[in-house]
Amino acid sequence: MISLAHVTKLYGTVIGVNDVTVELGTGAHGLLGPNGAGKTTLLGLVTGQLRPTMGSVRIFGERPFANPRVLARIGYCPAGDLLERGATPREWVTYLVRLAGHAAAAAGRLADAALERVRIGEAADRSLATLSKGQRQRAKLAGAIAHAPDLLVLDEPFVGLDPVARHDLVDLVREWAGDRSLLVASHLLHEIEALDAGLAVILGGRLVASGDVAEIRGLVDTLPAEVRLSADRPRRLAEIACGGDLVDSLRFEGDETLVIGTRHPVALAARLADAAARERIAIATLHAADRSLEGVFDRLVQLHRGIGSSRGQRPPAAADLARVGGRSPTGATTAAGAGS
Amino acid sequence: MNAWRGIIAVAGFQLRRMLTPQRIALGLAGALFPAAVMLAARRIVGGLDRDFAVVLLYALVPEAVCMLGLLVTMCPLVADELERGTWQHVVVRPGGRRSLLVGTFLAAVIWTSCVALVSLVLTLLAAGVSGAGGLALVLGALVLLSCVGRAALFALPAVIVPKRALVASVGAAIVVEYLAGFLPAVVNQFTVSLRLRSLLVHWMGWRTSLPPDLRMIVDPEPPWVQFAAVVALATLLLAAAGVILAWRQFPPAEES
Repeated sequence: MISLAHVTKLYGTVIGVNDVTVELGTGAHGLLGPNGAGKTTLLGLVTGQLRPTMGSVRIFGERPFANPRVLARIGYCPAGDLLERGATPREWVTYLVRLAGHAAAAAGRLADAALERVRIGEAADRSLATLSKGQRQRAKLAGAIAHAPDLLVLDEPFVGLDPVARHDLVDLVREWAGDRSLLVASHLLHEIEALDAGLAVILGGRLVASGDVAEIRGLVDTLPAEVRLSADRPRRLAEIACGGDLVDSLRFEGDETLVIGTRHPVALAARLADAAARERIAIATLHAADRSLEGVFDRLVQLHRGIGSSRGQRPPAAADLARVGGRSPTGATTAAGAGS
Repeated sequence: MNAWRGIIAVAGFQLRRMLTPQRIALGLAGALFPAAVMLAARRIVGGLDRDFAVVLLYALVPEAVCMLGLLVTMCPLVADELERGTWQHVVVRPGGRRSLLVGTFLAAVIWTSCVALVSLVLTLLAAGVSGAGGLALVLGALVLLSCVGRAALFALPAVIVPKRALVASVGAAIVVEYLAGFLPAVVNQFTVSLRLRSLLVHWMGWRTSLPPDLRMIVDPEPPWVQFAAVVALATLLLAAAGVILAWRQFPPAEES
């Protein structure tokens, strides 16, 4: 469905996305990355707003830029706020549907159905200027889905929403996606996780990993993670920790803090706990890397930026990051990866 | 068929945007301005010669009012969409860019023509000249042609330099319409001002009485040629703007 082959987008001398190769099949996909990572540029390429400087973009087997056949099958909800304040959501959505080539009467019916679907309620006939951010977000979403696209592309759809509105919108998008395709760009990982979407992680314009949540977690498990502990006898604990093959790196921070790089944090923690009990070492704190998706994401960001690979830990190989690809249950594969 | 639906949708939406109290007040001010000038001229001169009044009417309405109206309505073609955050919504629609261009062109022509025609009626009343009905037809036709030709002219700066479109359009109006247009050379054939002037001279029956040096800046061809020339020029300019707009890209940072 979405096929990018060695796609690079330059804005003058600034790199938007850098040599991205990815195949995304039908289904839901999340595009994760911090601000400035290149998510919006990638979506711009997918939705035919931008032309790649190098490489090729194919959506439904065709080039999307200036291609009405492809654009008719895409619904896009941009990240920016809608400042068309004079119109009501009903007028705005009807306008967008007419712009897609529908007759006025049909456009009105489609807009009504979409507004009902996003549950905007009586706000549909109020000026956009008087609506809350969440209501405007619903209006934008209605505009994107009203013409029943095969692929819905959402750029940061949950930003600025209160938790209730976020929850509602996540439900709505999940419900809509059903048998259709969805591409959601966000840095709010729990919402992406809630969408049951395959993941592609983009950093610095490069796609560094893709697959499903479990695969990406698995990837991170194979890379050294930091275990940080404070104890009254950290040097003795360091000796014990080094007694097997669990430690990749080790350093002290101050007199009481020990930082250990390991690919086996659970086994290491168990060994240290045993030793502490046996030798009456008081461990004040023990903190392992976050295992949530947020933590995984942070870890990938750190690895991409070279943090954690400079103190004796094995640097992450590009192949490791890209390897997650293969063929995921959602059909996502990554052919090109990138290290730092 | 579908293409026209999009174009009509944009034209309707743009006209709705123009129907705000502020825009209407601005339009009324623009419409009243020539009438005020005409009244002031009558008061100063103390009774206007008919030909002078017609030249003043032509300068004020088909030239000044149309130019100003189109600067306000056509120049923000792209910049307005970028500022409102609607550019991305529009360009991801099939034929969205083309609909935006042609729809905005239509809306600008309709809005400016309405303002200019109201202005024409008021200014004719203020002028108090004989044969006002015939003059209204002549100048009304020139208003429509002026709007079509100049809206297409301003479409080019609007798509090439969206954020400096107003300045660029004023520059284009001065250089193309009022410098090149008055040059007694081939280059003036490609201006709207030559066609409008020539039509005015033809319809007012002034050609034989024009001094020789003024004849050089008037085209002797019949009215249908002047009409066709304006339509061809507008089509060419719009097509060029369409090609540029079709390839226009904005980095995400510029879209807010």
